[in-house]
Amino acid sequence: MALPKKIKKTIDLIPKKTGLDRRIQLLDDIQKDGTYLPKGIGHADLDRGMLDFVKEDLKTFMDGNTVPTVDIIITTQNWSQFTETWNFQDLDKNVKPPFITTVRQPEVPYGTNPSLQYTIPNRKQFYYAKVPTWDGQRKGVDVYKIPQPIPVDITYNVKIFVNRMRGLNEFNKNVLQKFSSRQAYTIIKGHYIPIVLNNISDESVMDIDKRKYYIQNYEFTMLGFLMDEDEFEVSPGVSRALTMFEIPQLNKSVKVNPQPENPNEFPVDLLFVSGNTELSETFRYSADLHLNETFNVDSFSVYINNDYVGDNITKIQVNTNDLVKFVVVKKSIGESQIFTTAKLI
Amino acid sequence: MSQRKVPITRLSKFFAEEDFDLDISMGQEWLHGDMNFTFVLYRVDRQRTKKDDVYGEVVSEGVQYRAPIELKGYVQIEAPTNAFMGNSKIGQVEPGNLKIGIYQSYLDEMGVDIEFGDYIGYYEKEDRVRYYSVADDGRITSDNRHTYGGYKPYYRSIVASPVSNDEFNGI
Repeated sequence: MALPKKIKKTIDLIPKKTGLDRRIQLLDDIQKDGTYLPKGIGHADLDRGMLDFVKEDLKTFMDGNTVPTVDIIITTQNWSQFTETWNFQDLDKNVKPPFITTVRQPEVPYGTNPSLQYTIPNRKQFYYAKVPTWDGQRKGVDVYKIPQPIPVDITYNVKIFVNRMRGLNEFNKNVLQKFSSRQAYTIIKGHYIPIVLNNISDESVMDIDKRKYYIQNYEFTMLGFLMDEDEFEVSPGVSRALTMFEIPQLNKSVKVNPQPENPNEFPVDLLFVSGNTELSETFRYSADLHLNETFNVDSFSVYINNDYVGDNITKIQVNTNDLVKFVVVKKSIGESQIFTTAKLI
Repeated sequence: MSQRKVPITRLSKFFAEEDFDLDISMGQEWLHGDMNFTFVLYRVDRQRTKKDDVYGEVVSEGVQYRAPIELKGYVQIEAPTNAFMGNSKIGQVEPGNLKIGIYQSYLDEMGVDIEFGDYIGYYEKEDRVRYYSVADDGRITSDNRHTYGGYKPYYRSIVASPVSNDEFNGI
């Protein structure tokens, strides 16, 4: 006697999430092992997803063995199908039934996925997420933007080749159970992609004087979408600088001693000791040096930044960080002096 | 078959039973002695074979065979064809059919009948045998081609199509 429907036969060890928690879980799945951005999806990803769907979700057993699947989309290169079928070949290296293969119709038209219709024109990127950033000093956010994904409809023909009607029945049962609500979902790089069952047809080879086998064709449409990671955009958003002050708790007012004003004019005296005829000075300010008088100096030459300026000049214009060199010719051996006045500019 | 026998008298002015027997024996001597094409017939034991109740298909490893018999006949193998399997893009080179011409008197002498669905193994090399399933057992031999100048039927044309070794791979 069957159990009443309300009695649960199994209990979930991990409770299923609903509502906001479920949406967060979906987002986590999309972003798993990656950045905050969703993972890009191309044609090859959709094809791989369909092959995995056929291999795992439509797995069929015959006589206790799994019916093998050709795990590639057959293309124009003949050798490639051999690499996937060599372990179920006959002595002529022909593929030996039973097996399942997936054929993709090469054309990929604009899709009919209703959630992705024309809503954002011209590939304009829209806001996807704000991600907080912190570089040790500044707290800010990066704004992640992505363009609207492009919907595509890809038609796949999944064909089963068997020698026995019971094999057909088993595969048919698996497909119809999976697509009892007309569509099923597969997860491709974290995105849920719907697949719709369109049609079932028979292509069996029943010529009387040929090798006979059943072929049944299941036509599916994958309502996928394309997302090119190169079109994703990450731009810095608002930044906030955090400046911290350390203030002592015990405030004591300190009287500031009055200081005389810095003069704009002050003497600069140059002393050439006995045996020395050269002095260099780097000026940390811009000023005009006015010659007042000399002592025991026959003549002197002035160089600024090692460029010769002139001899016995009475006014020297000095800029900040200039290296000024004085070279004197003394009248007699002993000390010499040059007295100047610097006027700040 | 009717128990009553009626003598065949057509062509009797220049061809008779003795001539017919002579020519058949000469043909057999050439085919069996000189040509010596041999093949192995695996007759399906239709009583002991385990089959599906609904579809009548044999269950896995369920086919039962009678003892195989080596026979001689005129063997022709057609050229293979290169084609996709159905509408899939999986290509294959399908081996050609096996056609056998065999003397009816030889079959009668051996006490063997070849029936639709029996398997035939033909050794292409010492270590390579290909199996075929009888698709036409040639039981109707009423046409002119199968008679000796319109005198009496004397051979059968068997057509067998290749099978993959998951269907039959010898005993």
